[in-house]
Formats: sequence, C-alpha cells, structure tokens
Amino acid sequence: MRKTKSLTNNLDWPLLIGFLTLICFGLMTIYSVAFNDESPSIFSFSEKYGKQIMWICLSLFLGVIVFLIDSDIYKKFALPVYFVTLGLLVLVLFMPPINGARAWLGIGSMGIQPAEFAKTSTALLLARYIGGLNLKQLNSKKVFIALIIIVIPMALILLQPDAGTFIVFTAFFFVLYREGLTFDPFILNFINLIPKVKYKSTWIGSHFIPILFVLVFLSLLTLLLGHKNIGIIPGVPLYGSLGIIVSLLLISIAGILFVQKFGTKRELKKVRLIIILSFIVASFTSFIVEYSFVQIADHQKDRIELFLGLKEDPNGKDYNRNRAMAAVGSGGFIGKGYKNASVSSVKTNHVPESETDFIFCPYAEEWGFLGSIVLLFLYLFVIIRILIIAERQRSSFNRIYAYSVGMFFFYHFAINIGMNIGFAPVIGIPLPFFSYGGSSMMSFSIMVFILLKLDSQRRHVLR
Amino acid sequence: MNVENRRYVIITFILFVGLMYFFRLFYMQVLDDTWSNRAHQISEKRREITPPRAIIYDRNGVKIVGNKTYFNLMVVEEKMGGDFDTSAFSDLIGWSVEEVHNRFEEIVKGEGKYYNKYSGKKEANYQKNRSYPFLKELTKEEMVRIAPYLDAFPGFYEEETSMRTYPYPNGANILGYLSEVNRQEIAKDPFYKPSFNIGRAGIEKFYEKQLRGSKGVHYIVRSAMNNEVKKYEGGRYDTMALQANPIYLGLDIELQAYGERLMKNKKGCIVALEPKSGEILSMVSAPSYDPNILVGRKNISTHYPRLLNDPDKPLYPRPTQAEYVPGSIFKLIQSLIGLQEKVITKNTSFPCNQSLVGCHNHAAPNSIAKAIKFSCNPYYYYAVKKIIEQKKLDNRYEDAESGLNRWNDYMQSFGLGKKLNSDIYGLKPGLIPNSSYYDKWYGQHRWAFSTIRSIAIGQGEVKLTPLHMANLAAIIANKGWYYDPHFLRSPLSGFPLKITRNKTMVNPEYFDPVIDGMWRVVNETGGTGVRAKINGINVCGKTGTVENYKGGVKQKNHSVFIAFAPMENPKIAIAVFIENAGFGGTWAAPIAGLMMEKYLNKSISNPEEEKRVLDAKLNNK
Repeated sequence: MRKTKSLTNNLDWPLLIGFLTLICFGLMTIYSVAFNDESPSIFSFSEKYGKQIMWICLSLFLGVIVFLIDSDIYKKFALPVYFVTLGLLVLVLFMPPINGARAWLGIGSMGIQPAEFAKTSTALLLARYIGGLNLKQLNSKKVFIALIIIVIPMALILLQPDAGTFIVFTAFFFVLYREGLTFDPFILNFINLIPKVKYKSTWIGSHFIPILFVLVFLSLLTLLLGHKNIGIIPGVPLYGSLGIIVSLLLISIAGILFVQKFGTKRELKKVRLIIILSFIVASFTSFIVEYSFVQIADHQKDRIELFLGLKEDPNGKDYNRNRAMAAVGSGGFIGKGYKNASVSSVKTNHVPESETDFIFCPYAEEWGFLGSIVLLFLYLFVIIRILIIAERQRSSFNRIYAYSVGMFFFYHFAINIGMNIGFAPVIGIPLPFFSYGGSSMMSFSIMVFILLKLDSQRRHVLR
Repeated sequence: MNVENRRYVIITFILFVGLMYFFRLFYMQVLDDTWSNRAHQISEKRREITPPRAIIYDRNGVKIVGNKTYFNLMVVEEKMGGDFDTSAFSDLIGWSVEEVHNRFEEIVKGEGKYYNKYSGKKEANYQKNRSYPFLKELTKEEMVRIAPYLDAFPGFYEEETSMRTYPYPNGANILGYLSEVNRQEIAKDPFYKPSFNIGRAGIEKFYEKQLRGSKGVHYIVRSAMNNEVKKYEGGRYDTMALQANPIYLGLDIELQAYGERLMKNKKGCIVALEPKSGEILSMVSAPSYDPNILVGRKNISTHYPRLLNDPDKPLYPRPTQAEYVPGSIFKLIQSLIGLQEKVITKNTSFPCNQSLVGCHNHAAPNSIAKAIKFSCNPYYYYAVKKIIEQKKLDNRYEDAESGLNRWNDYMQSFGLGKKLNSDIYGLKPGLIPNSSYYDKWYGQHRWAFSTIRSIAIGQGEVKLTPLHMANLAAIIANKGWYYDPHFLRSPLSGFPLKITRNKTMVNPEYFDPVIDGMWRVVNETGGTGVRAKINGINVCGKTGTVENYKGGVKQKNHSVFIAFAPMENPKIAIAVFIENAGFGGTWAAPIAGLMMEKYLNKSISNPEEEKRVLDAKLNNK
C-alpha cells in the first residue's frame, strides 16, 4: 500500500524537470541544426530530429519501466548485470569497426553502444561492493577488488578504442574519494618497509583527488613552459622542468623558513615532511612528464601541443576545435537567432558532428552568451541536484550510485562543453540529453530513472 | 577521518569549473572578437561580380568595341572524386594525357600560389576545395563541344567571362588593348584581382575607370566545401554589378577603316579632325594591326611579341608620338606670324632667290597666296628673317634672340612644341626651338637668323607630331582658335572631358590670305596639291616634302599634306604624313583628298586616283 502511494509522492521533481528541460533544449537544437527543407516537420522520422523524438519516447518508456521496478532489484542483480555488460563489451570487440572503433552492437543505424550502459552497471556494482565494506578496516585486497570493478570495463572500452568513455570512467575516483576509500593499504605496504617507520595512514593515499589535480596542473605547467625560460633567477636560463624544479625548491625553502619563524615546533616537523615529500613528488612528476613528452609519438605530441595552444593548425589537425570555437565565439551576446547558425549548421558543415558531439556549437551560436549560460546553469543545477540527492541517501549503496551518476554528468558536461571552448581536448563524448543519439539518450535516462527510483524509496532502506 | 566534508571539496570543484566556463564563454562570445572574426572568415564569402566593360560607339552610333562571352573551364579538385578518367578527359579537350597532368601541376604551383603582402614572398596556397580555371578563355563554340560531356567529370564546370571584341579590325592604336593586371596594379587599386584585365593603351587605358563599371558584391554563406549555401542575411548587403554607360567617340569608324585601307603598304599616318569641336574623326597609324588579335591571354602571348619585334613598329602610335620635321606646311604658320607681326602684308613680294635656298621653278611669288601656292622657299627665307630680326634692338644677336622667342610664343599659341591637353596617352610635344635651345648649341648671342634659317621652311630643328599638323589645319580652318584634339564626345558619354577653347595670337583677318593660298595650292593649275582636289568642294591644303636623314644618310623625302574642307564651312581638317614617299603632292595630297571626300560625300568620284593610292607600295618592301 505504502509503496504505490510513494511512487510519485517521493519523486524528485526538480531533477525530473531539469532532465526534461535538457531533452527539450536538445531536441530544439537538433531540429535547428539538422533542419531539412524537404521534410520540415519535426516528426519526420527520416531526419535526425524525428529519430531523436523516437529515441526520447523509447528512453522515457524505459525510464517508466525502470521506475516501476522495485529498487531492491538493482542491488540484487548488480553483479549479473555487470557481467552481462562485460560480456557485451567483449562481444563488441568482434564487431566490424565503424569510424575506426568497434563500439557498436547491432544492425545498421539501430545499434547500441555497450560502453554507455557499462557506466550504469559498473556504478551499481561498485555501489554494492563499497557499500558493503567497512571503510575503517580496509586492506589491499578490498581496495584492489574495488579497483578491478572499475578497471576491467575501462580496459575493454580502451580496446574498442573509445578514449572518451575511458576518461569518463575516471569519474569513479571522485566517488571513491567521497566515500573515503583510500589507497593507503597499497602505499603503507611500501612505506612501512622502511625501518622504524610505522604509519597508519598517509596523506597521499586519502587525499588522492586533490593531489591528482595538483599533479595534473604541474604536468600541464611543465608542458606549457617546456621551451620557455623561467626567469626565477635573473641571468640564469632555466628551461621547462629544470626551471620548475628550481622554482619549487626555492618555494619549498621559503615555506620551511616561514614555518620556522612563525610556526610551533610540532607543526614545523609535520610541515617540513610534507614540503619535502611534495617537493620530491612534484619534481619527479615534472621531470617524468617532460621526459616522456620527448619520447611519445609525434601525432600524440601534436595533439597535446594543439590542445595546449603551443601549435596552430586551424585547417588540419586542429580543424574541429578551431571551427567549434569559431562557431561558439560568433554567437556573441544574444546569438544569431534560432535556425540561423551559419558556421555549425549541418548545411554549411564547417563544424563536424554538430548534431552529436559538437551540439553545443549550434546552440551557442544561435543563442549566444545568454543561451550558453542558461545551459551552463541548467547543467550545474542538474549536477548539484544529483549530489544533493546523493547526500540525503541513508544507504551508502544509494549514495555511491548517485555520486557516480552526478560525476558522469559532470564529466560529460565539462569535457563536452570544454572542447567547444578550448578548455578540454577534443574527445568524442555526447552532451547528456542534448546530443543526438539513441545509446546516450537511453543509457542516461535509465541511469537517471534508477536514481529517481532509488531516491523515491530512500526511506524504505533502514540501515 | 571525517569524509563527510569531502562533499564540499567536490561541489566546490564543480562550481569552480562552472565559473571558469562562465568567464570563458563571456570572454569568447562577448569580449573577444577573434573567434567571431574567424567565423566570418570561414563561413562567409564575398563574391565579387565584375560587369562587362562599357561598349564604345563611334560618332555615328556604330559599335566599335563590344564584349563577347567566353568560358573558363573551372576545376575543384576536392569534387573530382577518385575515378577521374584522365585519358577520356584529355580526349575530350584534345590534349595529351601528359599535358593534362602538367596543367594540374601548373595550377598547384602557379595559380595556387599567392603573393603575401607582408612577407613579400610567394606562398603556396593551393586548396583542394577552391576552384581554379583549368582552361581559360574558351569560345562559345569550343565550350559547346565540351559541355555535354562534363557530367562524366565531376569537379569540372564552366564559368562565363567576357572579353573585348572589335567589330571593325581598325583603330587598334586608338582603342588600345587589355591585358592582365600586374601585382603593383592589384596593390594600388582594390578593384583589381589576379587575372583581371586592365586597359593597356589608348582609350581602354585612358578611360579605364569609366569603362570598367562598378562591381557587384554578393555576400554568401558558404559551406565547408566552399559551396554557396544561402545569401548572407537574405542578400541585404548585396549590390548589383553595373556595366558602365557606353562611351561615344568622335571617331568615324568607316573613315578610319578607309584610311587604314589607303595606308596599306605605306608607313605613316593620317589624322583627321572636326575643326569646330576638335574631335578626332580618324587617326590612322600605318602599319597597324587588327585589335582582335590582342584579345585574351592566348592571343596576347602569340601576337604581342611578334608585334613588338616587327621593325615597322605596328604598336607605335605614330600620329601622337612620332615627331616629324614638318617641311613646307610650316610656311602657313610663318605667313600668319609675319602678317600678325606686320613685317609683311598679304601683298608682300620677295624674289625667288635660289642662291639663298633651293627652290623649284615657278612664277613670281608676288603675294602670300602665291608664295603658298608655289611653296616658294626663298620667299619664306625673307619673311621669317623679318620676323626673327625685327631690328628693334641694336645688337643683331639680341634682336634675333627676342625675335625668336616672340616667334616661339606664336608657335606655342598654336599648340606646337607642347603637349596638347587631350584624352590621349603618351602625346609628344614636338619641338619648337627658343633662344635657350640655340644658346645651348651655339652659345648666347652667338647666333642670328642666318644660323637658324632652316626653320623658316619647316626644316632643321623643328618637329611636329601629325596630330599637331592636323590641328594646324583645323586652326587655319577656324581662323585662329582650336579645341584640343580629343576622342571623346563628352556630353553623349555622360561625363565631362576637360578641354579648353584655345585662341592663337593671330587675328582672324590674317588667315584669309593664307586660306586663299591654300585654296590655290589645290585648285589652281600649278598648285602643288592639285591631286587633293574634290569636284564641287573647295579644298584648301598645303603640301610638304620633308628632307630627312637617317644616320647622316639622306633618305627619300617624306610626303606631307595638310588640308581642310570645305573652305566656306570647314567640316574636316586633315594631316597626312607618309614616310619616305617623296613629293608631298604625289602621295599625301591624294590620300588627304580621298579621305575628305569619303567623309564629306561618303563616296569617291575619282576611282582611278583611289586605285593608284591603293596599289602603291611605299614602304620599301
């Protein structure tokens, strides 16, 4: 009795409305960008907009089915669903490649991409596994299993190859971070080998996300300054990594001196260790990055240099990004108006994939800065809403799953829009609910409806 | 460890990314123009449409310069596809397979390059999605043969262009020709783009701006394949290409054609003017060429070098640039100056003293009219001596100096020794010496009339262009004034030509005895120019026989004749100059006569004379 009553009562309307609004915006943009004079009706199923309507209906239908199923089933069947997905990911590797990747399962245009669904099933299994762990008593085996759950589908996806989805899978590290899963068991195994050292936890193992970003930042800095003289010591030319290491050394010494003068003795000891360790790790990273950049293949080097803006090739290797940024930039403050995209419309075809991966281009070109920030806020709203939902869950299963969904959204949003504005490398991943395409629409719908269902039944869980 | 707070780390991170994107979008879309400029650059195209050049008509409304449609066979490599059948294509255009390959290479290396203004280098800029002309300037007939089969060769298409066509094979030296613009011209005037044509000589050059019309500009939205997708903003900013209004010339093309026929196998020129207006009726430069042979790249590259290297210099516009010693026609202006200076009267008589200067046997020159009729050399020796040495100053040399300069002023007032103000390029001034000219030769006050006496009979240092000579005839016909000779009929052509009505320093009444003499030259027995006589029309003329030297060796005399008719109401003034043809009355006079009769009567009453002239080969070949 109570269950049926709560079916809609506990539904999170803000998220559902946000989700439906994004679908409408997306359909509207596809209708504009792929508009064909010969079949002007939005319901022309020969055109992409008609097909998208079909995908939307199918997705909503699947969503409703998902919503009708009791949420316990996801926890119960998380493991078999995960293995079925892995099976599909293996199977897809034997399919004929489309555009150089074996990503599609099915016949002709009606295919699905197992990788899209792998995100959901991996999230479910990870939620179930970590939710069942006592995180205060971790050992290397437990952490290892958690990593294996993530890494196996990632590896299979990389074999397709689908770099986009591969990168999206790293969203799980945010989830692990939030849950407090640490890599300490691994690290301690090594550190405690040192005589007279007996740590219970390390800063590196538990704060890996912030550290990761510092390292990524440092790597980018190393690459950007690769050929530039860092004039930290006047008259002494120091290039790239060497310059950074010397700079870091000077900053470290300054830091230690600072603490020596103003800190307490206990603080000094701790801070000094942190600074020395950070300096060693940072210098090592910077050196490794510079060294490996020299070693990697030329085409990869090109791509990195293009992304960092160290090189220009607007009509060649950097064509997509160049055209996409031109389209976005030409939108101006209020945009060119609906159906007036001249750079990114399918007819002019300057921006490739402008109805799928680069769909932000026509949108930003037509609606300008105002439209762009409306979309930006809409996505941020949806993402934050999902995280709010996540934080109000009583069960860690629900929370982990919700965090996974939230971080997927964030990754797709940040990378997809980022590549249109020069903030992310060009990686072919769709903008959720916006880009044309069935797999993405269905998988994200299922993902969101599972979340809505879990959320609506959150009070049933008494753990 | 409390991990609950980590949610804030994550949310902060997400909001930070959101904020970064917000500012980035604001910068890209609102503040910075780089990307919107880039978008214009890649998605819009300014397509310029060049109208055909203006039509040119002659004084009777006959079209003398028109346009003909030609075709370029354009190619876009990107659209050619992989299965281009080179041998079938070469068969179609009648080339060898190798030539087709070479042409492709040539396009990539030649047309594909462009001149970078900033680096000053030629840079490779061949783009597969651009169209380049594979074959240029095909005629309609050639295109009709190829066009039906072009469907088999994707990437190839035809494009219309227009080029000049000349219904009459005449007037090449007047009309000029077109050829492709060079880099400096492109840099100087944004109107021109590579492969545009520009006027290179004559009317085409002088009236380039009036003839070229105004370009139309179409703004289009183009696709990545460089195709037109739609008009930019519905064509709001588009302009139409406008062909310039036709130009009307004072030229009589029939007369011009007739003149060129008469001048066949002769070297020299004819200039005919309408005295009342200064309009040039005909300006023949012989030898000449058919203007149609210098239309288009192919033609120019075949014919231009040949014309340029021809020893008879067909490209040389003799009527305006050749400076000839005028000979006896100069006696007319000497008479006028003498009369105006009152050193002689119309009845002044001088002896034909052949010990002073050679002459031929004739009756006594006891008036100006008779002196002109017989073209008596000693007469003008005496007359010009009186002009130069007026004995106003005690010093003989200073007297000559002031006399010569006074004489030079008269000459200048007749437009002689200076460039006429006209719509003709490259006019030469001729040469009328003044005192400083002789000072350079002999030193100041070291010369007197006897030193420079050859100028009295139009020999020596004096030089005129045939245009000056014709203008002299026109001035006499007008009795003392002239408009600068010019081609354009200004009011009809719709834009003004700055020409002035010039007055000479000689009063109208002094022209009567000279005109009387000129009438006698043609119409009285014993006159030197009787071959110019036209029945029923009073022709006034004057012969000249010019002694000339080439490298110190005396050449056969030039034959000169200037005239106007009818005497009562002059409608045509003419100068005929035939190089190395002998006595002025023998060849120049009859040609002038025929020309005037053709113009005034539209028919020839003396076919024998016409035949004699047409058959004459006077170019020493």
